[in-house]
Amino acid sequence: MYYSAYQLTIASELPLPELVQVNGTQTDVTIRFDNVAENGLADGEQLGPFLWAAPNTLWLQVPNVARFLVRNGNEIIIDPADGIDDDSIRVFLLGSAFGALLFQRGLLVIHGNAVRIGDECLICVGPSGAGKSTLAAAFMQRGFDVLADDVVPVNDAGLALPGFPRIKLWQDAAEQFEIVTDDLRRIRPEMNKFNLPVNGVVQQALPIRWIYILGSDHIDEITFEAINGMAKFMPLQNNTYRAKFLHGMQLKSQHLALCGKLASKIRLSRLTRPKLGFTANAMVDAILKDIEVNP
Amino acid sequence: MSSLYWLASYPKSGNTWFRAFLQNLLEDGDKPVVIDELSTGSIASARGWLDETLGFDTADLTQDEIDALRPSVYDWQHDATELGYHKIHDAYTTADDGTPIVGVVGTKGALYIVRNPLDVAPSYANHCQCSLDQAIEYMGNTKHCMAQNKRRLTSQVRQQLLTWSEHVRSWLDAPQLNRLVIRYEDMLNHPLATFTAACQFLELPLDQARIKKAIAFSDFKVLSQQEKQHGFKERPPQTQQFFRQGKSGDWRDKLTGEQVARIIQDHGEMMRRLGYLDVNGQPLVTPRPWCELSVDVERRGDGVACVNQ
Repeated sequence: MYYSAYQLTIASELPLPELVQVNGTQTDVTIRFDNVAENGLADGEQLGPFLWAAPNTLWLQVPNVARFLVRNGNEIIIDPADGIDDDSIRVFLLGSAFGALLFQRGLLVIHGNAVRIGDECLICVGPSGAGKSTLAAAFMQRGFDVLADDVVPVNDAGLALPGFPRIKLWQDAAEQFEIVTDDLRRIRPEMNKFNLPVNGVVQQALPIRWIYILGSDHIDEITFEAINGMAKFMPLQNNTYRAKFLHGMQLKSQHLALCGKLASKIRLSRLTRPKLGFTANAMVDAILKDIEVNP
Repeated sequence: MSSLYWLASYPKSGNTWFRAFLQNLLEDGDKPVVIDELSTGSIASARGWLDETLGFDTADLTQDEIDALRPSVYDWQHDATELGYHKIHDAYTTADDGTPIVGVVGTKGALYIVRNPLDVAPSYANHCQCSLDQAIEYMGNTKHCMAQNKRRLTSQVRQQLLTWSEHVRSWLDAPQLNRLVIRYEDMLNHPLATFTAACQFLELPLDQARIKKAIAFSDFKVLSQQEKQHGFKERPPQTQQFFRQGKSGDWRDKLTGEQVARIIQDHGEMMRRLGYLDVNGQPLVTPRPWCELSVDVERRGDGVACVNQ
């Protein structure tokens, strides 16, 4: 089957229902099943208990799910664990494995969610649990297009590439938006987390204008704090998707250059929300107001 | 070489107080460190630490799958060059194959901080924003966990606490664990001896003037005052204050006779072992000195501090 995501044509032996299907023409990326060495990369560097890297190659094991070998920015080999379901493989394939592939293609990969605002886009970044996906779902409920969920690749020109039309949403967040999850596909059979299809597929890459770093504190109101000049650099580095992959794949200097370029083009702010008594909708309102004041 | 020291305790037993002491000791400055900047090391259950080490999202794993992977994350620290001091509230549980939750080769030792459960109960009730009876029920419930919501993403992964007694026993009797046990009440009543014993165990500076200063800079009044003035990000959102009393024996005003009896019924054996009950099984405000506790004499060589009064 052939699919499209991140402006790439992907040929995959594993069905990828989250992605848009296309007709097979020229293939940019091949995803196939094969054996992947059990003990990492012979000529590589071990970066974690289940992680190895070498130039243009990343080896990742998700125990009891699959081993992934990602190489040259154009190939992902999957070696599934016995009896594992396709959904479980997909969630890690479309996360870490794809993140590594996009790095290998020379992109800056941001850990966040991108939302279209006119002819530009904003990205919300922050640690796991900061509410990135919930906020993206709130934007979607208000009629905005979601460009990418969790993994946002950015090219040399500071454009965010469109991912694929889904948001991973937890049960509690779905209920907040009165989204009935009965008919939604669980990201993995045993988890209360769902693939929420997003309306409208964005085709073109969009310039990134705003990046918001999400955080929370014991405060009563949502606050914004602009980050200027050289200070923009570190937050971009810190919110890079799986920055550790870069070291082993020797992509660090390229990454620094990309961060520098992006920093000069964006308005970067820290968005702090109250720990209690806020809604994702109120955050959307606050962001839209901030965007209006700071176009 | 292993590099992790665990600062282990049941919640509300003095762990944050100890971390404030530790940070003050390490910084050795002329004024107390800011409580929002206690950065000695991530809590063991920090999702960010796990994700960073694993290279994939624990948000896409079940809680049992995460538990199975946690030992490898800590063992990955085995060749770290610097010592790390990490808070942990999990009980010392083991996987089916016997692997402890904290791993094996990454762990250098554990400082276990224990506090009279009669004083833990009111503090834990405030922490959980629940009734005293509910907190007492939690402390007696072997299935009790923190961060166990399966319907949303939390910044920490699930931590199995077991009952209060089981929690203490899991750490005190863990085989082959290099450990030191200190009591909250000794930190209050005999601070210099207790904190010095902890420093010795944790390979920290032993200079007495420096330790005294760190004790003073992490005094309850200082911590509480800082929180009143500037807040404390680690405070659970629905509570008024994190540093509330900082005393021992407060249970006499907080608990009913029935509640005291229930806690002693649930945890009497462990309370006796730790000196929180007298020979007649009555609760003590000042625990018996370690040296009087025959059951613990054998553990002294095993690292139980004997702080002589």
